[in-house]
Amino acid sequence: MSTVSKPAAPAPLSRELQYLTIIAPVITEKATALSEKNQVVFKVAMDADKRTIKQAVEGLFGVSVTAVNTIVVKGKSKRFKGRPGQRSDWKKAVVSLAEGQSIDLTTGLA
Amino acid sequence: MNVTELSNEGLKRSYSVVVPATALAAQKDKKLAELGRDLKVPGFRPGKVPASLVASRYGKAVTGEVLDASIQEATDKLLTERSLRPATQPKIDLKEFKDGEDLTFEISLEVLPEITMPDFGAISLTRLKATPGEAEVAKAIENITRRNASLEETESRAAAKGEVLIVDFEGKIDGVAFQGGAGTDMPVEIAGPGFIPGFSEQMEGMVPGETRVITVPFPEDYQAKDLAGKTAEFTITAKTLKVYTKPAVDDELAKKLGLESLEKLNETINNVLQNEYDGIARSKVKRALLDALAEQASFEVPEGLVEAEFGQIWPRVEADLKADRLDADDKGKDEATLRADYRKIAERRIRLGLLLAEIGRTNNIQVTPEELNRAMMAEAQRYPGQERQVIEFFTKNPDAINNLRSPIFEEKVVDFMLELAKVEEKAVTPEELAAAE
Repeated sequence: MSTVSKPAAPAPLSRELQYLTIIAPVITEKATALSEKNQVVFKVAMDADKRTIKQAVEGLFGVSVTAVNTIVVKGKSKRFKGRPGQRSDWKKAVVSLAEGQSIDLTTGLA
Repeated sequence: MNVTELSNEGLKRSYSVVVPATALAAQKDKKLAELGRDLKVPGFRPGKVPASLVASRYGKAVTGEVLDASIQEATDKLLTERSLRPATQPKIDLKEFKDGEDLTFEISLEVLPEITMPDFGAISLTRLKATPGEAEVAKAIENITRRNASLEETESRAAAKGEVLIVDFEGKIDGVAFQGGAGTDMPVEIAGPGFIPGFSEQMEGMVPGETRVITVPFPEDYQAKDLAGKTAEFTITAKTLKVYTKPAVDDELAKKLGLESLEKLNETINNVLQNEYDGIARSKVKRALLDALAEQASFEVPEGLVEAEFGQIWPRVEADLKADRLDADDKGKDEATLRADYRKIAERRIRLGLLLAEIGRTNNIQVTPEELNRAMMAEAQRYPGQERQVIEFFTKNPDAINNLRSPIFEEKVVDFMLELAKVEEKAVTPEELAAAE
């Protein structure tokens, strides 16, 4: 693996883009359980990649991120008044924080 | 819980209470756990919401609840521990409270005074007893016949006072007819009420068929503004003359009133009068008894209660004072004197109320449900046709029933005391009864 060089660090993200990247925290039983592993779950923009997510979380919450895993959650097909419909897909990011750091999701961002 | 007595003078007490923060926190946690047990939050299965989330969402509300509960509890505990009987709702003064700190507050209250039982045996009263005589019954029957009098047509002659003329009339002011100034076939009682003064009086001596023209001035304060103070000319034509005829006093009259015979009627009137006299006599003896009690009782009265009672009486007196409607006793007194007088009245009321309640309590006098029921029925009968609604109202409003309870209780206590007190009977005539103080 030594032949593959690390991609160059991306350009720093503007504050506005940081807010646009991180949409909302995911507050569910499963996500709360992950906090034991020092991981936080966010709903993020569909076009955000792991590196921008890392930048945004570090910028917005002032923590250091060790890893980001993303999942695209497929929207369910639902029927509305008998017509088939499609819920939007969305991207979920599981962010691992450096040891000893945490994010308080219950207080909103200033 | 940590209680220190701040003051203790007369009937007033005040305490400072400290509830430790740990006790509060324990209660709060318990409440939150209880709340989380069946809380539904999206993203979580029911009851699986983490405690921290519940706390952040409902912590504030629960803190308030816990504060309320612990203040209530501490107050109750304080009262039972020191066996205080509060006269007024304890006043609670809560200083600023921060989450995680000890709860400190002050309770101030007035306690009921120590009431010594008056010596009932030392009270001597006179109960007046009056029985209706024949004259009173006859007077009552005379009243009944007058009320049952019927109007009968009589022969054509000059009308006298108290008789009724059926007339047509037309009134004019300065030769112009005015609104409401004309009528046909109107019964007018000579010198009777119901018309402008001077109208029916001037019809005295009219014979049916006669036409008379009279002038009558409208009073200055007549309710129709455009007529007040003007003089009207009425053209009156008398048609027929009628007189009031009293029915004969016999069984027929009794039957008309729903009774079997004249004898029964006499008996009923006798009973009604007797009841009336007994009621007057009782209220007089009761008043005398309460006066005697008030003289004997000299315990201190909780100021808060007097203040509340005075607050109820005073606005009425004040309104009367402003409108110059005070009764003869109070006329000419200035506000300060009136205030002092009515405060004394309020104090007397509270003192007697406390005393009666205490006597009832120590002697185990209670109002039975049957008595309440009877009072409720009596109340219902005062609204004929709506008995059912009244009873429904009482069954739905326990407070209203309590309003019925207190007079019954008072009467029972008074009865109890009358048994013990020295009561002398004295026969009097009805006039003497009415005149007696």
